[in-house]
Amino acid sequence: MAEPILEFDDVDIRYRTDGDDVRAVNGASFAIDEGDYFGLVGESGCGKSTIADSIVGGLDDNGEVVSGEIRFKGEQIQDYSESEFNENVRWKEVSVIPQSSMNSLDPVMKLSEQAVEMAKYHTDLSRPAALDRLRELFDVVGLSESRISDYPHQFSGGMQQRAIIAFALFLQPSLIIADEPTTALDVIMQDQIMDYINGLKDDWDVSMLLITHDISLVFENCDSMAVMHGGQIAETGTVDDVFDRPRHPYAILLQNAFPDVRFPDRELAVIDGHPPQLRDEVDFCTFADRCPWAEPACREGAPPATPVAGDDDHLAWCVRAGEMSELAANHLERSTESTSILEGGQ
Amino acid sequence: MSRLRYFARRTAVTAVLIFLVASALFLFFRLMPGDYTSLLIQQGMDPQQIEALRRKWGLAAPLHVQYVRYIVNLLTADVGQSFRYGEPVWDLVAPRILNSFVLVAPAITATYIIGGLFGAIMGRRRGGYLEKSGIITVSAFHSIPDFFLGIILIAVFSSTLGIFPTSGMLSTPTSIMIQDQPYWRRFLLPEFWKHYALPFATVMLYFMQYPALIMRNSVVEVSDQEFLHYHRLKGLPESTLLRKIIRHASLPVVTLYPISLAASISGLVLIEIVFNWPGIGSLLVSSVLARDFPVIQFVFLVAAVWVILGNFLVDLLYGVLDPRVSVSGSDGE
Repeated sequence: MAEPILEFDDVDIRYRTDGDDVRAVNGASFAIDEGDYFGLVGESGCGKSTIADSIVGGLDDNGEVVSGEIRFKGEQIQDYSESEFNENVRWKEVSVIPQSSMNSLDPVMKLSEQAVEMAKYHTDLSRPAALDRLRELFDVVGLSESRISDYPHQFSGGMQQRAIIAFALFLQPSLIIADEPTTALDVIMQDQIMDYINGLKDDWDVSMLLITHDISLVFENCDSMAVMHGGQIAETGTVDDVFDRPRHPYAILLQNAFPDVRFPDRELAVIDGHPPQLRDEVDFCTFADRCPWAEPACREGAPPATPVAGDDDHLAWCVRAGEMSELAANHLERSTESTSILEGGQ
Repeated sequence: MSRLRYFARRTAVTAVLIFLVASALFLFFRLMPGDYTSLLIQQGMDPQQIEALRRKWGLAAPLHVQYVRYIVNLLTADVGQSFRYGEPVWDLVAPRILNSFVLVAPAITATYIIGGLFGAIMGRRRGGYLEKSGIITVSAFHSIPDFFLGIILIAVFSSTLGIFPTSGMLSTPTSIMIQDQPYWRRFLLPEFWKHYALPFATVMLYFMQYPALIMRNSVVEVSDQEFLHYHRLKGLPESTLLRKIIRHASLPVVTLYPISLAASISGLVLIEIVFNWPGIGSLLVSSVLARDFPVIQFVFLVAAVWVILGNFLVDLLYGVLDPRVSVSGSDGE
């Protein structure tokens, strides 16, 4: 297996506020292998975007990585200063396709100028060379080359998203973070954009961190993944592992909450309750309050990373991970007459 | 092509506006009871002499005849003579406007530049001590009436500390000495700047609130915009980010600047009176009281044209600062 390009090792991230700190991410560990597409999936506010921001030093001023290590190509980057991020990480190594493409392009700058600016701060490309490169990339993402000198407001939402992808590729980074890249788009455009993103796999030597709340996007496009809830990673592994053998209750329920074309009559699982407020010390499983299988141990300590079937790359953070496949099978059988997807992997 | 049409249309609108303002000014001051001759009656002038004067000044003619005459004169750049001084209005007003301009334009400009930068710093240090104390300070200075602020400064720096003179633009001997020399000669005299300091400071302290608070809000707002986050993630250095923030955030301040400047040209009456600054303000007040129509009309017209042209320039400047404005403006044709 390839070397990991990005590793998270027991990372805690907090936001200071006037009241209690918000503990946005707690004990997060996962690794993205070189050349892999990695999906990070979870509900709103679970800390996905905070994780994304922490990789490029994009946390808000009050946000801080308080413990753990973030390693990019083996280098610890969690304590980098702004200028170190600018120098070593941002855009040349890691670029971002942000959540709201429509508001991310500077409205008073021509796209060509924004590209020239990137070239100016990160490369010694001349102005004409930078423009040529942008034309090339516009062609790659399906935009007309003649429009590089337009202002962002002259583009439709889908076109802006493509321009953003062109910008993300501009310096040939080794990792692209796509933070909900299709959320603001209609389904047809979503499909097209995901096609482009997928197409990069073949033509560009790039890894991808795809952040989304749409688990099907991850299943379709990624090699490995992590499932997140309430500031904790629930489960990580290859997409096949997590899809076939989910061992964390949240991962199981999340999967069952999505319709499956193979079992159209299956009743969808519902995850009751609300995502937790992460104000106090998080030394418990944040899913315990919503978990149908919670036991006292779940609230007595942070859930341990448990290898699934002896595989150290497939981890579930659940004290009951070992017995979960049985528990879940019973539970889901009771709630639905039709086949559980769990049976596929037994 | 469409940009040219946009420009042409704006120019036409501007011309019509100036015409309307000129007409309104004519009407408003004639709606006030009495004219300049009523003062002369009080001074015991013979009614026949007064009637002769009224005819001479054209005040006896019906209003619409006066109006047409006024507009025709304006079009030929003839702004008439002061009733009170018998001098051409232009000769009377021009040096006063110059004196006011010399005080107000640099003071307001400096206020907007310094206040804007101060506001930008406050906006970047949101929640900090500097921001909290800054807001209170600029608001406090604006809460004191401007003339009273002037009086306080005079009391402290002139009467008590004796650093600056209390009033005027130059001492009498000096002004006699340089009266035949070009106007700019006075800028070389330390004495001028000593006279200049307190009214300048008064204007700055009083008006600092607008640019500082507006810029602060604007910077806070712009800093939260997605595209700035994106710029940061792209690895642009902090200085570049700050430049972008200021460019985006300065739009509302840029809008207000010419308006504030224009309003001040005729509007700093009280500050001029407190410091006995030989500007347009004191002339305006006495001319209104005397119903000296040609002077009043001209001064107000100058102020109005100034405001209108200021807005016109802001519109054009907006097109440069924010391309969305000019494009949507011309697309809307």
